[in-house]
Amino acid sequence: MSDTRYFEDVEPGDEFSERWIPTRETVVGYLTVGNAEAGNTASRFTSDEEAQKIGMQRAIVPGAFSLCMATRVVTDWMGPTGRLHSIDVDFRRPVLHDDALNILALVTDTLEDGGRPIVKLDVYLENERGERPVQGTAIVELPTRG
Amino acid sequence: MTTEAVFEHDASVIGVEVHLGTFEITPERVAGYLRATGETNPLYTDEAAAQAGPHGGLVVPPGILQTISMAGAPNAKVKFGNFAMHSGQRMEVVAPIRVGDVISVAADVKEVYPKTGRSGTMVFEVRRNTFRNQHGEVVAISEMSMVHRQAGGG
Repeated sequence: MSDTRYFEDVEPGDEFSERWIPTRETVVGYLTVGNAEAGNTASRFTSDEEAQKIGMQRAIVPGAFSLCMATRVVTDWMGPTGRLHSIDVDFRRPVLHDDALNILALVTDTLEDGGRPIVKLDVYLENERGERPVQGTAIVELPTRG
Repeated sequence: MTTEAVFEHDASVIGVEVHLGTFEITPERVAGYLRATGETNPLYTDEAAAQAGPHGGLVVPPGILQTISMAGAPNAKVKFGNFAMHSGQRMEVVAPIRVGDVISVAADVKEVYPKTGRSGTMVFEVRRNTFRNQHGEVVAISEMSMVHRQAGGG
């Protein structure tokens, strides 16, 4: 369970990470939450065969799911009293099913913006091949001790 | 002097919002999302802890909006190169989302523009989705970038 994280306790250079292995089961679970893939039981996101038709080694993880997982790592870190303002990622290469990933975040700046205590972070996914298929930034607001 | 990339697209859809429908934030959908993503933040799972948080109670992870179908969203029908891929995703969180909210989705094409880098020219199409709750309040804005390029060095 996350604890309250205060603005005063955060410094540029702080890093944190979580491991993530996207399995077919979790991808299917994600896709069936809403209606994004309703009725589509064989797509590049769920089937190795379908993914191989477009040149992929095996089934790929939806980009939006990678965004959600990067978001989770940031919101886990900020705790229940933080507020996520935005997250913005670029997809450099596909994330494949069963990739062993580290989702990493690095604090790059802390500032007062119009009286709001803001923390800026770099976020990225790194796979076991040393690649960073997803890279981006996030902006959160944290409570102050005062 | 700059060299303009030659590409075709339907400029008439740029900035024109299309209503895609509504999406109810049900407890079942939230539970499914928490399970798929492994979310444990007390903001989403612990009523007592969430009461002390910035929203005064439980809220729903904004990422759940990413699971909504965008079928019927406008498309600028970019004709450039031989390859297109999802190149980026951005989410701005504006207001809390709660269980029971009915989210309406409006989609438009924000912009289409060329960019030339080391690997040649690419054309970007940015599709924007605006999510409003049943009170008409914007809760989030999401942007998806598609890149069109010539693969294989052609």
